[in-house]
Amino acid sequence: MARSTIYVGLEIGTSKVCVVVGEVRSDGAIKILGVGQHPTSGVRKGEIVDFEAAQQCLHDALVKAEDRSDVMVKNVFLAVTGAHIDSLNNRGTIRISDDQAEITSENLEEVKEIARDVSLPKENAYIHSIIQHYYVDGQEKVLNPVGMLGQKLEADYHIIHGVKTRIQNAIRCVREVPLEVEDIVFSPIAAAQVVLNREAKQQGALLIDIGGGTTEYVLYIEGAVVASGCLGIGGDHITNDLSIVFKIPIGRAEKLKVDRSSARIEGIDPDAIIDLEADSHFKGSKIEQLELNSVVDARLREVFLLVRERLDQTGQLDKVGKGIYLIGGTSLIDGIEELAEEIFELPVQRPSSASMSGPAAIFENPQYATPVGLIRYAQLLDEQRPQAGALSNIGKKFGRILGFGR
Amino acid sequence: MIEYNLSEQSEIPPGGEFSVRVIGVGGAGANVLDRMALEGSDEAELLTLNTDVRALSSSVSNNKIQLGKTLLKGMGAGGDPELGKQGALEAVDEIRNSLRGYKMAFVCVGLGGGTGSGAAPEVCRVAKEEGVFLVVFATLPFSFEGKRRMDQALEALERIGRYSNAVVTFDNDRMGELIVPKEGVQQAFAAADKIISQAIRATMKIVSHPGIIRIGMDELLSALNSENSRCLFGFGVAKGDNRAQEALDQALKSPLLDKGKMLDQASNVLVHVGGGDSMTLFEIELVMQELSKHIDDAKTQILFGTGTDKKLGANLTVTIVSSLSGPGGQRREAPAEGPMANREPEPPAPRLGSSLMAPLSPPPAPTSEPENHTIEPVAITEESSVAEIEESFETEEVPEQEEVVAEVTDPVSEPVVEEPSPEIEAEDIALDDDEEAAEDTPVAEDVPEPVEPEAEIEEEVAEPEVETPAQPEPVKEREPIDLQPVRKTAVVPPQTVRKPVIDVAPISRPKLNVGAPIASVHDEDEDDVTDSIGKMLRQGRDGTGLPHEEEAAEPTGDNEPTMPILPPSVAGEGDVIVARTDDSQQISLSRLMPGVSSGSGNVAPGTLPQPSEAPLDLPENATQAEIDAAAAQHQQMLQLEPLSKGRFAKTEPTIVDGEDMDVPTFLRKRRK
Repeated sequence: MARSTIYVGLEIGTSKVCVVVGEVRSDGAIKILGVGQHPTSGVRKGEIVDFEAAQQCLHDALVKAEDRSDVMVKNVFLAVTGAHIDSLNNRGTIRISDDQAEITSENLEEVKEIARDVSLPKENAYIHSIIQHYYVDGQEKVLNPVGMLGQKLEADYHIIHGVKTRIQNAIRCVREVPLEVEDIVFSPIAAAQVVLNREAKQQGALLIDIGGGTTEYVLYIEGAVVASGCLGIGGDHITNDLSIVFKIPIGRAEKLKVDRSSARIEGIDPDAIIDLEADSHFKGSKIEQLELNSVVDARLREVFLLVRERLDQTGQLDKVGKGIYLIGGTSLIDGIEELAEEIFELPVQRPSSASMSGPAAIFENPQYATPVGLIRYAQLLDEQRPQAGALSNIGKKFGRILGFGR
Repeated sequence: MIEYNLSEQSEIPPGGEFSVRVIGVGGAGANVLDRMALEGSDEAELLTLNTDVRALSSSVSNNKIQLGKTLLKGMGAGGDPELGKQGALEAVDEIRNSLRGYKMAFVCVGLGGGTGSGAAPEVCRVAKEEGVFLVVFATLPFSFEGKRRMDQALEALERIGRYSNAVVTFDNDRMGELIVPKEGVQQAFAAADKIISQAIRATMKIVSHPGIIRIGMDELLSALNSENSRCLFGFGVAKGDNRAQEALDQALKSPLLDKGKMLDQASNVLVHVGGGDSMTLFEIELVMQELSKHIDDAKTQILFGTGTDKKLGANLTVTIVSSLSGPGGQRREAPAEGPMANREPEPPAPRLGSSLMAPLSPPPAPTSEPENHTIEPVAITEESSVAEIEESFETEEVPEQEEVVAEVTDPVSEPVVEEPSPEIEAEDIALDDDEEAAEDTPVAEDVPEPVEPEAEIEEEVAEPEVETPAQPEPVKEREPIDLQPVRKTAVVPPQTVRKPVIDVAPISRPKLNVGAPIASVHDEDEDDVTDSIGKMLRQGRDGTGLPHEEEAAEPTGDNEPTMPILPPSVAGEGDVIVARTDDSQQISLSRLMPGVSSGSGNVAPGTLPQPSEAPLDLPENATQAEIDAAAAQHQQMLQLEPLSKGRFAKTEPTIVDGEDMDVPTFLRKRRK
């Protein structure tokens, strides 16, 4: 495959729209060509509520990205999120007929169909079905059973699904720009492609992406996704909390959060005071650092506890060998790592960037993990289904999302 | 290996003289029969047996026998199998006559109630004595109907098993899990009836139609061999080019088969492929090949049969009958996709969704029909829908619809009375939900709600049951009891509903004694009360000023009846804020007011006396005036310091565990 391909990742986040143009070279390395981003309006908790405003932002970000990368963007990979997205695990089983010598790829398709045949709520559609493991005649954790001999083939799938219309809305918004959506990806899955390397996935890692309006998580155990999901709580909530508790304007609260806030409570001087200067809309006030931190701590603690509660239900959390990876804008808050360590009883790892080149500031900043991950996802997708398959598969997936099939 | 088993013995003689009686005993049996009649059953002669004359008269089958004409005077057996049995004995000659001359009979019955559990064994005994080949399709009650009913059902099942040639049991709990998790009760039960009637029809066809490869009674028996077992049944019919595949897929999709997964464990599987003259051998082969993928043919014996029937035309049918042994095994065995039944699509409650991740979380059947509200315009009325479900379970499932008596008495009163505990949570959430509801739903306030459920109940009662004219009293009597919960809990988030319905039965009992013990209950659990009040406060304040004004304006005592029920719902986490007992107590009283007073204003007058006498007991340490003052004071405080959601005020709320996540955690914690 002596060709290089250009992919574009698009994330319409609650706080910013981000377009990343990347080139996948023939040797598999990724080079980031350009990034365009713009603060969002019209997006709440990860979902678009004002089409026109969101499109305007998207357009601005797109123009910037095209300028910088010198690429005409036509197709994008779109990250989707929202609290409506949920996941489950299901196992499919088929019996291989006796006259068949070995397991074929058709059998895999068949078992996939069966595994995917779970009754989702009427309004939901599949976003991903990710293979976890195959079992051949009870033999565990077979990675590729094609060619193996066996009578019974089982497959565990992790199925991510969400409300169809909401996903369609996101796609429609992008299409009207106009951009063609090649595929949609649940954002933490995309982010995991760059943040978690193979070793981390294998050892078991929990990725938590605390964005502006949502918190997404994905748990990898033994190289497979075992849990994923999204909470409709994010950094905006912290801002809002500060604004309400200290009765200051949202803008000041945001600034306060970014500049001064921390999730630490211990070791803070109880007398430390932050002086908020007055401006034309705000008469100024003094805030205790300790109280500020308590507000942030309470919120983040709650978010982590909610995630933990969900993961506890899978019973897999104790299999995490590597640790927690925190990404997203909110993960820049001071003291958040200690808090996560305390709640999950797991070490927090610094995300390390994969083999990529380009402006380092981009892929090393946890805020960009998702859009960059989309490019990596696109690359993996392309490797998995070479040439001919790619187009038709995408077509299929589209059909699915847009309402054909289930 | 496919086994061609062509045994001659115990076959029903073919041809015209072959005749089948299908007997429905009790309400559930009659429903199945109605379903069969509806779909048009040419060969079978239907016979309905029931104690309740009104249910009987509404049945569409052409032959009916009223049980216990003199003993019960047209009323139901009231959940007492002994009455059902006596009733059957009274009509034993009629039953015997109706069975005479038939070679084969199917009995459909819903066990657990009076008529079904009592009369069905007698019917079976008579059939046995008449030498009829007897297959019984028995439905076991929902587990939430209580242990006693289950015991009654199992006892009856045991007796039925003694007399009949084959018993096929359908587990209602499984019906709830497997059939259309989100559809209305009506559809769910219709689907359950349909499966049973399909099973009967297909069995009849299989054994009665001439076949190229014939299946006889013996094969059917060995397929259903293990008594007490769970029946696996699948039926599919399709036409067109790919009809073989499609028909098989359909058959495997049958909820009882669980997509073919269950076949893996069966020891005998009966497969019948039927079609018109155009059916080809290739198609049969195709079906069997596909099917063998689901069957471990080293262990499982396949009993195969095929036949042509001109009536089928271009259709091809596939019938799969089998059974899983192990009497215990069939209960509560959640299938892999079981958790999906849990999904509550209504309000975004991440908590619920997350339960999906645990594949085996128990999927409580009753709550799995949140979409129920198709009948009601109310959006958040989970609780009322539960009440309805119970209602209709009562009516549809239990053979003796006339169980009004039972409703008031022991076994059934459990599910009914359980509701009190959710009520309270309902109450406090109602306060802020009301506003949100106004945003999200067509209902602006909860005033119209109470009226709706009431009407609902009456409909439910009237429709499937068709009470005897002699029954009006019991119906009325049950109204106040049922109604109360429905009214109060009109607005309850799904989570609160689920738990209590299943496990809080004993705690909520005290609710029965509404009048006197209130004061004492209240005293003992004061800590708990205050804590829950704290909660209430917290949640109540989430809203803005509006409801509080109403509160202050109307501090009457109507809210009382809800107080005594508080403790159970929060028992265990008390003594957090004992210090503010008095104050918060009063405040909480006032907070309760708008929801309740508006509600009770609309309820049937019969329910009012209870509440109004209660308040005198409760505020022992506070007079009415004091409460007023406290409410007013508190209201001022609220206005000064509202629990704001800031910029999220207008967004879709993120609610977890009944807490609004958009309100600063810091403030929520401080309220605790």
